[in-house]
Parts: sequence; C-alpha cells; structure tokens
Amino acid sequence: MRGSNFSYLVKQGVVSVWHNRLMSFASFCIIMVSLLLISLAALLAADINVVIGTAEDKNEILVYVDDADDAKIVRIEEALKNNGYTAQVVFYPKEEALEAKKEELKEYADLLDALKDNPMPDTFRVTIKDISQIDEAKRTFETIDGVSEVSAPYDFASVLVSLKTTLGIIGGAMLIALVAVCIVIVYNASRTSVFARRKEIGIMKMVGATNSFIKLPFFIEGMFIGILAGAVSWFLTKIAYEALISFFAGDLTIWKVLGLSNVIPFSDVIWYLLAFNCAGGAILSAIGTIFSMGKHLKV
Amino acid sequence: MVELKNVNVHYKDGAKNGVDALHDINLRINDGEFVFIVGDSGAGKSTMLKLLTREIVPTNGRVFVNGYNLSKMRSRKIPYFRRSLGMIFQDFRLIPDLTVYENVAFVLRVTDKSNKYIRQRVPYVLNLVKLADKAKAKPTQLSGGEQQRVAIARAFATDPGLIIADEPTGNIDPKLSYEIVELLKDINKCGTTILMVTHEHDLVQYFGGRIINLSKGSIAFDDYIGGEDEGE
Repeated sequence: MRGSNFSYLVKQGVVSVWHNRLMSFASFCIIMVSLLLISLAALLAADINVVIGTAEDKNEILVYVDDADDAKIVRIEEALKNNGYTAQVVFYPKEEALEAKKEELKEYADLLDALKDNPMPDTFRVTIKDISQIDEAKRTFETIDGVSEVSAPYDFASVLVSLKTTLGIIGGAMLIALVAVCIVIVYNASRTSVFARRKEIGIMKMVGATNSFIKLPFFIEGMFIGILAGAVSWFLTKIAYEALISFFAGDLTIWKVLGLSNVIPFSDVIWYLLAFNCAGGAILSAIGTIFSMGKHLKV
Repeated sequence: MVELKNVNVHYKDGAKNGVDALHDINLRINDGEFVFIVGDSGAGKSTMLKLLTREIVPTNGRVFVNGYNLSKMRSRKIPYFRRSLGMIFQDFRLIPDLTVYENVAFVLRVTDKSNKYIRQRVPYVLNLVKLADKAKAKPTQLSGGEQQRVAIARAFATDPGLIIADEPTGNIDPKLSYEIVELLKDINKCGTTILMVTHEHDLVQYFGGRIINLSKGSIAFDDYIGGEDEGE
C-alpha cells in the first residue's frame, strides 16, 4: 500500500472517532477506568512485595541456649545448619550479647557491670530461607536438645504472606474481569461502528477493497481510543498513587510499622507505566476490533 | 470479455426442492460490446449479475470475466478481480459523508493509485459526466440524475474493461434516463464493454443493439435490434 493511501486510512480512522463519538467515549471511559484500576493494583502489589521483601530481610529467628559448653554449642549449631529451613547461622556468645546490651543501655551500663553473673544467654541468629516457613522452622528448632527458647516474628510474617497471597488472587481475578469487560465493551462499540458503516463497507467490497484496507481505519479508530485512554489512565494513576502514598506517609507510625518506607516512588516507574498503559489500551482495542469485524467483511 | 458456459444456479433456501435461478446458460459478450439484459422479475437478472461480480458461484458450469475464471477463484483474489470492473447500481451507493470528488477518488485509493494520479483523474471523469462544478457537493445535495452520474464517474474512474449497470435508470426521472444511457454509450465508444440490466423496454427499443432477454432462468432471446436513435 502506498504511503499516501495509508495516511489517508489513518486519517479516516481518527476522523471516525469523532463521527462515532458516543461509542468512542464509552470505549474510552471503560478502557481508561480499567487501566487505572489495573495499574493502581499493579503498583500496590509491587509495594506489598517490597514490604514483604523488607520483612524477609529480617526473617531471623533467635535461638537462645542456657549454660552450654563448647561441645553442646557446636552440636546445636550443626543441628541448626542441617535442616531445610536455614540459610545462615551466626553465633553470638553471651559475652558479646552483654556488651551489645551495654551499648544499647548506655545510661544504665553501671547497673549491668554490677551484676556478678552474665544474665544474657548464648544466642544463635538463624536466617531462614522462606518466610512462609518461619512457623515450622521455629517448632523444629524448639525440639533441638539444649535450646531454651526460640523467638520468631512469625505473626507479622504470616500476616504479610497471607496478605500477599490474598491480594494476588483478588488482583488476578480483577485483572481477568477488567480485561474481559474491556474487550466486550470495545467489541460492542466496534460492532456498532461497523454496523453504522455496513453500506460503506459493502461499497468498498464491490469496488475491490481488500479486507485489510477496510479493517485499517477501524483498527486505527480503536487503537487511537485505546492509546488515549492509556495516557489518561496513566495520568490519573499518578495522581491517585501519589495521593495514597502521601495519605499514608502522614501517619509515620503506621508507615514505619508496616515497613512502608520502602514503597516504590512513582518517578521510578513513570515511563514503564506510561508504555504499559498505552500498549494495554491499544491491545485491548485491537482484540475487540478483530472479533467485531468478521461478518460484515463477507460480501 | 464475459463468458458463461453451461451455467446453472440452484438456490436451496426456502422451497422444498429449491429454486433454479439460472438454467443451462451459455453466453459470450465480446470486448467493446454494449448489451442490454432484460427480463421480468424473477427471470434471473440479479442472479446473473451476482455471478458476474463473484458474489455467488454457479452450482454447475464456468464463468469467465475479464480473463478471470470466477468458478475457481479464491476469496483473497476477489478484490483484485473487482477492480477490473465498474459497478453502477439503481440506488447509486455513494458514500454520503464524502463529497462528489472524494466518492470518485475513493475507488482510486482502493486500487492504490497515487495522489498525483487521483488529482488528475478525478477532475477528468467529473468533467466527462458534466459534474465538475459539483465536486465539493455531498451526494445528498444532488438530484437523482446527478447522483447516478457521480456513480458512473466512479465506475469509469479506474478505466475498467467492463462496466456492469444494474437498473441504472430505475431511480431517476424518465427523461433523464436517456441522458444516463447516452453517457454509458459515450463510455462504450471509448472501448469499455457495457452490460446494462433494465426492465425499461422503451429505453431498449430506443437505443437498440444487442438484447439478451432472460425468462424463467433461461435465455429466451439474444440478438441485435435496430434502435430508434439510429435514424436520428
């Protein structure tokens, strides 16, 4: 196809956005809202992953040992290393623990000095591989002979893990539903547009237009709407996401407790998200258009 | 050239045993001829036109148009075959949103002609049908006769070997019908084969020439008659 005729068809596609403005607007709105929800959900899911990642960095179980000799320490260390949960084991003798405590409680260091015996236990800091197994790891470590106590932040971890799983399921279902709704709406909008121009399509077929010549303006029309909806949804995502972040950042306690200090700044994903939304809008429109045209091309 | 060899068209829809729309048609129309196809309603005129434009294929027999064997043509070849035809319809079939100029230019874009060619060709054909001054008008702003002249300009724009006119005078003032046929006669003088379907016997008798009369799906008459205009 000649460049001049291609540009003519592109122009026809853009002009028909205005001609079918009611259905174009309906398609635009539904794609825009869907992409807004999808991109917001994706950003929040990424944030949750970051938060869980932060928690996973602290997936440390403290294993306390009372009155153990060197042989016992070595045996416990072996037992801690030789199981499926452990990534790393670091031993802190009670002397080091006392020094650390003194450092922590500088003002009361004299009180600690006054103690005859060191009250701090020998401690193993065990980093586990998978935070979702923290509860099982804790129970396993408790059974090791010589271990007096095991401390693990498994409540917070288990909440985060179940939150991640639940949000993953909800997000996946929402994504499928939104994509399906988008395709159905674009399909109907495109069908209306094709139906309104069925006589024109019939004339095109009778004078020798190929299917691709007939389809191109409809594709352009759909993709123009899709890309525009993608760009607008990107802009609204930026506003909504930044508003959400600043809302949570207003309460620093919740912010810190939840570990949200590591949330993804919008500026880090700005161009990826723009490309994702525009491409998503274009693809959704293209799929809707493909499904809607078949019947009217058989002349 | 148009050639139909032992063509039968049988419609299965509706009736118990179906309908024989065309029965054992053998026909040859040479390049440069002007042929009227006449016949009552249901005689098979529309079916024959559908065969010649490859909207349908014959149940039996072979159809050749402009060197294409339509009986064996693949679907993706149909657009390229149709570009070798010019079509004129009773209801004009102009695109209402486009101007007269754009309607004619449209068919040239479909056939992938350059902008330069379109700029030269469209004014030429509009001048030929005496509508150069209406180039910027929309079809709805024109009379029936003018709209049909635009349709003729569109059919002729690609300089096809064959123009098929389906009742081109059916929707216009009887007085203007003669002008339309005159215009088609002028195009025919340039070497384009014209196949005109009509039920207006007055027109046929006035212009004369080769007449094919279809009756109940068969050719009842195929011969030349003298026209009244020949003596004028």
